[in-house]
Amino acid sequence: MIDRTIETDVLVIGGGGGGLRAAVAAHDEGARVLILSKGIVGKSGLTQTAVTGFQVAFGYADPRDNAAVHYADTIRGGYGLADPELARIFTAEAVEAVDDIESFGARFDREANGKLVQRKLDSSQTYPRSIKKGDSLGTPIMQALRRQINKRDIPRLHEILVTRLLKDGDRVCGAIAVDFQKGALLEIRAGAVVMATGGAGELFPVHSNTPDSTGDGYALALDAGADLVDVEFLLMLGHAVLHPATVRGVLFTFQYLLNKGARPLYNADGEPFLARYDPEGSDNPARHIYARAIHGEVRAGRGSPHGGAFFDPGSVSIKTLMASLPSQTKYLQSFGVDMTKPIEVGAAAHYVCGGIKIGARAESTIQGLFAVGECSGGPHGAGRIGGNSLTEILVFGKRAGIAASEFAGSHGAGPSDAAIIAAESDRILDYLSDRRTGPRPNVIKAMLQKLMNDHVGVVRNDEGLREAVARFERMEAVDLCTMSVAESNRIGNYDWIEALEVTAMVRFARAMAGAALKRTESRGAHYREDYPELDNEAWLKNIIIRKDSDELAFEPRACAPDPTLETAE
Amino acid sequence: MAALKITLFRYDPACDSEPRYQDYVIDPDGPLSVLQAIRYVYHNSDGSLSFRNSDCRRGVCGICSMMIDGRRQLTCMCLATDGIKIEPPPNRKIVKDLVFETD
Repeated sequence: MIDRTIETDVLVIGGGGGGLRAAVAAHDEGARVLILSKGIVGKSGLTQTAVTGFQVAFGYADPRDNAAVHYADTIRGGYGLADPELARIFTAEAVEAVDDIESFGARFDREANGKLVQRKLDSSQTYPRSIKKGDSLGTPIMQALRRQINKRDIPRLHEILVTRLLKDGDRVCGAIAVDFQKGALLEIRAGAVVMATGGAGELFPVHSNTPDSTGDGYALALDAGADLVDVEFLLMLGHAVLHPATVRGVLFTFQYLLNKGARPLYNADGEPFLARYDPEGSDNPARHIYARAIHGEVRAGRGSPHGGAFFDPGSVSIKTLMASLPSQTKYLQSFGVDMTKPIEVGAAAHYVCGGIKIGARAESTIQGLFAVGECSGGPHGAGRIGGNSLTEILVFGKRAGIAASEFAGSHGAGPSDAAIIAAESDRILDYLSDRRTGPRPNVIKAMLQKLMNDHVGVVRNDEGLREAVARFERMEAVDLCTMSVAESNRIGNYDWIEALEVTAMVRFARAMAGAALKRTESRGAHYREDYPELDNEAWLKNIIIRKDSDELAFEPRACAPDPTLETAE
Repeated sequence: MAALKITLFRYDPACDSEPRYQDYVIDPDGPLSVLQAIRYVYHNSDGSLSFRNSDCRRGVCGICSMMIDGRRQLTCMCLATDGIKIEPPPNRKIVKDLVFETD
């Protein structure tokens, strides 16, 4: 049933920034590398859409800044749950990561003195630390990485969806995948696999991600027996444009540009409200507070017509917007948004703070599987501060590539298990069967998105989360088994691809909702209205998720100690 | 918002002898980008439509580029208007419908 078998040393799944960085590093260690992406390698993923910042503690803008301060900010922004070793690694290696990416050809904005421009994005940064390139920071990073992939002639295959990891005993040794363009089934035999599949914004009806952010990597890793960590922490931002629908979910990152004393949002009664929701009483609170505050106003009947709040155009001048956010502003204007008038903004899913649990070498908890970027978990804990994502993907991308190359070198491609491959082929092809008469994937996806929005979004509670978990279990048992696609041809069949994606989405939705149910407190990006307080007595713990036979097990585990705190004592 | 007609290029090299154009009338709640209009057809009218659901909504990835009324444009950056015709760029090998082989 397999149409094509490919052997490689290191298989990289994902064609965004983390995946490409890992591929370059693995190649440079001497490994044969293959990159697979669901989209076009190097032009998919979220890295290319990065706007605002990339945190690196050069200390140019303020000489008091250094890696230790960056580390402390990261731990604070993770509300005590970030893995201290991982946070230390990516803050300590951030400067080297910039040196590397500059040596690959990326250029960032510089001051007249030749030093990189460093800005302070918000209160999560003690000192100005974020480097930038206009308002399109992702572009130079991706261009540089694409150039290195081309220069090394690293093999890559576009529009390939991985549906299952293959194992040899306890070790990951390859994958099964579907080729969208050819309609073919692939078996990839690999010495090591680097997961770099990004996040899961598409689980929600409004999000800032691309539509292919369907959480595949989390589901693949769970199914292979790897641990997930901290996935209940879903960062919802509150400054996505809600209207018109053409730009619904597009981020409008005004919060970094506000005039002094500005009160940027007001409700349907014309009242500013952000300060009421911020423990520190700020009208420009930490970014995850925005969504919560807007949610509160909407629920109290003071929301805007499309379920959000109004951005006050008086809080940032159009001149500042055009100077600092030219591409974002032009994009919104092109769809008729008048930047000098009130704009409806609201919540959008932005980033899964946790993911596949990794160690210092980006290794997962199972042999042969490594993970980098949003699909990985540990470096951020309960919240990710703005600008830390790019730092992390470049540092751990390099580490993952090196470690995967070494692992593959000492293990080689594993033997394939014919029975497992046959079963997986059957599962994939069964979606095309005319025996199936249930709803199409997009219908099931819409159901899932509504459940996530209603029960697993900005504000959560026991009853809603139980409902969501039960519904996801039923979807796995019933809806996914009858889900049908519009036609049975294999070539270029997007409905088929979406069916496979939706299957992974339900699996990961269940994991996220289950972890959110387990965590009976509020912390960072996770807010429970029935447990609104931070509870350090009971919950200075990470929730580890593992699949046991067909059940998901949720295990709270005491956090690794922060070595800095120990020294201070 | 009034209903609008959009015309899409359809071609399945596996079974069609030549390409054809198919009209769809859609009636969304509000304005849509061209890419959203294609997605609307796929969701609500015709699940057999093949397209690339790649939408960076920043105009940076370029994947959604198509011929709109004869001009190559990013479908995520253009508003869908009544009567538009959307097709792949000329001289590209078609995988199916709006999906053509990449370089």
